[in-house]
Amino acid sequence: MNTSDIHIRGVGAVSAAGWNAADLLKAVRAGTPLPATGCARPGDERTWPCETRLVPAVPPEKISRHPRLRRSSAITRYSVAAALEALADAGHDPAAPPQGLGILFIMMNGCVNYTGRFYHEVLQNPAQASPLIFPETVFNAPASHLASFLGIDGAVSTLVGAPNTIMEALDTAAFWIRSGIVEECLLIAAEECDWLSAEALTYYHPHLIASEGAGALLLSASGGGPRVCDVIGPLAYLSWQERCALLPELAAQTQAKLHEPATLIDDRTGISKLDRAETAAWSGSPWQTVLSPKLVLGESMGASAALQLVLGTLAARETQQPVVISMPGANTAAYACVLTP
Amino acid sequence: MNTCVGSSTTVRDESHPFPIFSSVPPPPRQRIAITGAGIVSPLGLGWQANEQSLAADRAAFRPVELFDTSGLIAKTAGVVDVPAENLFHRVPAHKQALVDRGTRMLLLAIREALAQSGRETMEGIDAMVIGTSAGAMPLGEAYFENARQDPGRVPSQLSRAEHYQPQRQMSSIAAEFGWHGPVIIVSNACASGANAIGWAADMIRSGRAKRVIAGGYDALAKLVFSGFDSLRALAPSGIPRPFDAQRDGLALGEGAAVMLLEAEDARQSDALGDVAGYSTATDLHHLTQPDPEGKAAIRTMTNACAQAGVSPAQIGYVNSHGTGTPFNDVAEAAAIAAWAGDAVKNIPVSSTKSAMGHLLGGAGAVEAVICLMALRGQWLPASLNVREVDPAVRFDLVQKFRHARLEHALTNSFGFGGTNATLVLQRRTA
Repeated sequence: MNTSDIHIRGVGAVSAAGWNAADLLKAVRAGTPLPATGCARPGDERTWPCETRLVPAVPPEKISRHPRLRRSSAITRYSVAAALEALADAGHDPAAPPQGLGILFIMMNGCVNYTGRFYHEVLQNPAQASPLIFPETVFNAPASHLASFLGIDGAVSTLVGAPNTIMEALDTAAFWIRSGIVEECLLIAAEECDWLSAEALTYYHPHLIASEGAGALLLSASGGGPRVCDVIGPLAYLSWQERCALLPELAAQTQAKLHEPATLIDDRTGISKLDRAETAAWSGSPWQTVLSPKLVLGESMGASAALQLVLGTLAARETQQPVVISMPGANTAAYACVLTP
Repeated sequence: MNTCVGSSTTVRDESHPFPIFSSVPPPPRQRIAITGAGIVSPLGLGWQANEQSLAADRAAFRPVELFDTSGLIAKTAGVVDVPAENLFHRVPAHKQALVDRGTRMLLLAIREALAQSGRETMEGIDAMVIGTSAGAMPLGEAYFENARQDPGRVPSQLSRAEHYQPQRQMSSIAAEFGWHGPVIIVSNACASGANAIGWAADMIRSGRAKRVIAGGYDALAKLVFSGFDSLRALAPSGIPRPFDAQRDGLALGEGAAVMLLEAEDARQSDALGDVAGYSTATDLHHLTQPDPEGKAAIRTMTNACAQAGVSPAQIGYVNSHGTGTPFNDVAEAAAIAAWAGDAVKNIPVSSTKSAMGHLLGGAGAVEAVICLMALRGQWLPASLNVREVDPAVRFDLVQKFRHARLEHALTNSFGFGGTNATLVLQRRTA
């Protein structure tokens, strides 16, 4: 995988820390877990604790108006806000997006709120299930709305998978740019919370807290900005045991690329059982700084790797040092990458 | 992995009848060989069964018994007879229920593709790129229903939550072959399968991979079936009539298909054909309805043919998206006419959805394999159930199976969200 000729010109983020990338960096640097709130269950009381860290209410200046956004769910609104911030960060006028823009969208759960609502209606009475809701349940609805909002009629694609699928998307974005299919590419990963996904996380571990948001990166072959110089992986695995055994190799391959002090942005959750292998793998290096976004935000699922990359870009810009992003994944493959200023 | 840096060829095409920003695809740097293909559809399991059904102009719609359709308008679909035995030999018997029906179909298709290329394993495969729209939706439905029924913790919910994830389903396939490699899951609604094949071809064309399994799948699911029913998109009669003047909707189906794509310089078995061209674009008209002029479709057909180095007149068969809905078919007919120009009246077009239904995320892949079968067999599958051809149709609508000479076939896939994709396949002669 070679993406070293591609620059991250701009970044944007929506997270439990706020509606911009700066708030994300500030919160993660502070390292204090954001307040969690109980996740309501419709209809009845849950017999076990389940909490979420949600994106705060949208500030007035972040409300985007477009016919497609009237009905769209939170995941689309987060994506649009993060994309507009990334475009502005790259020096583009968000009101007049550049031509030749492509979109690669990554998610794991997708439009869960409308999906749950629609299926509830189907179970109640399928004859009265809303035809307005069903199209919003489709995985690529957020990418479609964003494309419509920005007027992008070229290459737009949605990938579903583990959060680190964003590295495969990055590889393809680089190909699209090199080959002229697009001039620049928005790489976006987003997720929204609902009670079902929040509960699902607690089955993995009772202390996992669901979060949500979007991370956006504007990629270009020109214009400057940090580059993803080295991508390590995918190191594919078929079990948790294989994953744990592969992580030292992931770390060793990554460390071989480093020749100066670096920042590590890891994937740790704060739950030792889940973090043990990753913690051990990276412990051999004298990191300048270690940032652990999930300890602050919670589990942002499909958006989490994008938020790491946004943080990495900001950190690389600021420190002018390399940044290592650790993306060990949970059920398919491990990746890491090195960002250089 | 590729390290080359090509020059940008993106241009604004002012001469186009619809002056829109047009992305010119890169020239083909190498042939993308198809060395194996597998297909599972309502018409049958495997290449031979599907070929025989298409040759017999057989349709495969029957009442849906996988879930309750009593409150719905439509009650039939193209249903696959998935073998009852355990297909996944490495999945313990007590976990077989966690392998989704669609994943089982996909495994059968992959096994057929590998066998066709003389392989028993996935060793040497660099990546798997799979399109799906619904993934393992029935497991998600079961998770939802259990959660609603019981406010307490239900132990089996962890397994449902885990296996609902499409990447976890793909891991089951990887484990079946003991294969370790990247799995990329494309989800662009009904264009997913075509996009996955195009994505894989791009991976090879760019040098990022030598050998990729690519395709798509989707199984029938209550939520999706109810969704199309709520949109009144399903033909009340259960009979889809693409390009008929009185068509009244589509029929859903299920299935899977894959191709084993190989770089020509890495090919390890005889090629069945080539992926010669691919293009994707986005229709911004509406979330679910196509632009009446089919502007995005015109671009994808034009660009895919440009990449393949062929003119519309050289396309010997078009497998249309052809859902049978009023909006889709008229827009696609307009797009084909605009793309083909004077050649339109000689271009044979059909919709095989008329025989098996709309396979959603699997449609593009299944229809691409049908194009490959047509190129290999030198025949054209039919658009069934047409009583009176829509006046928008200016092409040669194939209404009965027939033999023909063709060197190139084109397949269109258009999805919710406006994703349009076109693939051009090329015949290989010995």
